[in-house]
Amino acid sequence: MRQFHLCMLFILFSFSPLSLGFAQQLPAPDFAISVDQLPDKLSDFKGKVVYLDFWASWCKPCRKSFPWMNKMQQKYGPQGLQIIAVNLDSDLALAKVFLDKVPADIPIIYDPQGNIASGYKLIGMPSSYLIDRAGLLRKSHKGFFTKKESLYEQEILILLNEKG
Amino acid sequence: MMRNKLIKITLALICVQLVGCANLGVQPWERDLLAKDEMALDSEGNDLGLDDHIYFSKEATSGGRAFAGGGCGCN
Amino acid sequence: MQLTSKNPLTSKMKKTANINTALAAATCALLGTVPVAQADEGVWEMDAALLYYGETDRVTAVEGVFSASKDFGDEHVFSGKIILDSLTGASASGAVAQPNAQTYTRPSGRGQYVVAAGETPLDDTFHDTRVQLEAQWTQPLGDDMRGSTGVHLSKEYDYLSIAVNGSLAKDFNQKNTTVSAGLSLAFDTIDPEGGRPVAFSEMVIDQGQFANEEAYQAVFDATRQEGTDDKSTVDLMIGVTQIINRRMLMQFNYGFSMSDGYHTDPFKVLSVVNDQGLTQALVHEDRPTERTRHNFYWQTKYALDSGVADISYRYATDDWDINSHTIDSRLRFNLSDNTYIQPHFRYYQQSAAEFYQPFLLEGTALPTFASADYRLGEMTAYTIGLKYGMKMPSGNEWAFRLEYYQQDPKNAGFDEPGALQQLDLYPSLKAVIAQVSYSF
Repeated sequence: MRQFHLCMLFILFSFSPLSLGFAQQLPAPDFAISVDQLPDKLSDFKGKVVYLDFWASWCKPCRKSFPWMNKMQQKYGPQGLQIIAVNLDSDLALAKVFLDKVPADIPIIYDPQGNIASGYKLIGMPSSYLIDRAGLLRKSHKGFFTKKESLYEQEILILLNEKG
Repeated sequence: MMRNKLIKITLALICVQLVGCANLGVQPWERDLLAKDEMALDSEGNDLGLDDHIYFSKEATSGGRAFAGGGCGCN
Repeated sequence: MQLTSKNPLTSKMKKTANINTALAAATCALLGTVPVAQADEGVWEMDAALLYYGETDRVTAVEGVFSASKDFGDEHVFSGKIILDSLTGASASGAVAQPNAQTYTRPSGRGQYVVAAGETPLDDTFHDTRVQLEAQWTQPLGDDMRGSTGVHLSKEYDYLSIAVNGSLAKDFNQKNTTVSAGLSLAFDTIDPEGGRPVAFSEMVIDQGQFANEEAYQAVFDATRQEGTDDKSTVDLMIGVTQIINRRMLMQFNYGFSMSDGYHTDPFKVLSVVNDQGLTQALVHEDRPTERTRHNFYWQTKYALDSGVADISYRYATDDWDINSHTIDSRLRFNLSDNTYIQPHFRYYQQSAAEFYQPFLLEGTALPTFASADYRLGEMTAYTIGLKYGMKMPSGNEWAFRLEYYQQDPKNAGFDEPGALQQLDLYPSLKAVIAQVSYSF
């Protein structure tokens, strides 16, 4: 009887839209960070929810994603959200031009060789990844759609509310 | 007959592209040059349209182009 | 997605060598589909262009285009286009030159024109204005797939063309490969001034042999068919675009087109000459009511450090026996961050239609179909041009284009009897193209 109840709970829970992926919880590929005021590597962010965004100056949807990311960082930073934008321009000057036009209130990491991106096996540009407080990779997004902004926000909230 | 052969070859080429060309191409973040406006297949749409107009009227053949694909591959 | 167009040659019934073929509507039908260049969201991107086309001693055309497109969010794009063009000038009627002056009747049946000795007969009757409207909607359809649909409308005094199109594009291999398929359906109605002539009927030339106006009109009307006619066209295209490397992409397309209906140009004639090469009569041409075409197209675009190289090759063949090769190349050199020049070279070669004849020989049996329209004959043509573009501080761009087009018709193996040997039956056509465009 108890096993049956446990099974039912398990099934119900797994069908629940509030959970984010039971299957495939792998640790997010680690990488070194050399930005002031940030820890030395990604895994040092354990305890915080990390939203990792891969972008480039030539990617037009990125112009929409930055204002939204700025807003999210401001809103949920106190609750433990850390958004990091990884730039993949091979010509860093172009990235600077982009940032002049589209201000970023989030830290930028430069990955011109695409080493970090290779680790995350990007399928399209832009791509974003949600890493939970335990350092596990929970969600990935291909592209940025203004229609889905509230969905992205919901996912962040779920991970923020999970106990570490 | 020659024409049917050509059609079959072209369609086969297109199918091969799908399967056999999984090795060709670049990583999503290596599309900086391809993302440039001038590298888009429809970059001079109005010019191409006006030219096609002229050549339709003066020659017996028309068409050929398509505009899908290429670019930055975003979204 | 661009689909092969309908035959433009016979669409514009009233005008002979004009560039306002309503068929361009169908061809351009898919020019705007599944757009690649991503526009900024929520802003109307607009393009205006004014083109002048002028042949030496023949047709002159002025064409204005205005197009606008807007991304309504997440790549849901609407684009619209309006084209206005105006044609004047003279175009070859299909008759052969003669060692003496000739008189021809205008296609409407009202009025005549005289052609000097040794000159290629040109009909200068026409001038017309045409309006074309296009609307296209493109949007994503799930992961890695996009769909597009649109309508085209083209209207001029004696011609109406309506076309609808739809296409799908799907990405594979991390968007390195894109496969697209498109379909276009077009319906044209033709109602030329003076009515469509009866096939191979003789041109009635009033040289005083009629008792009065009514008598002439009666004989003229006997060479005319009643009512309007139409033509429908189905176009299908399948294509693959493949990213080769960071600098290069390639495209391969196969296009199929089938048209059914009135393909004849009601204002083109053939000269019936005797064994001395002298014209005895003029008869109206007649073309088949069906045409099936195949189109094979390959294009490569290569990103240079400061510019783009673009080269394409097209092979076309159809059941009228017209085979053609086209090589088109553009080389863009960025002179600075805001300016560029782009030389352009195009080479075209076609073989004659199976029913093409520069003239008919008196005494020989009439063929099933015949046309002396030089545009269906054997020819080579080349275009050489230069474009200069500059971007303003506001982000808007001006561009200027100047091109020279020369078409050299060739003798597809017809013997020239008598007087015709001294005359140039295949005169070259020379034209200048000038265009100004503004993007904002």
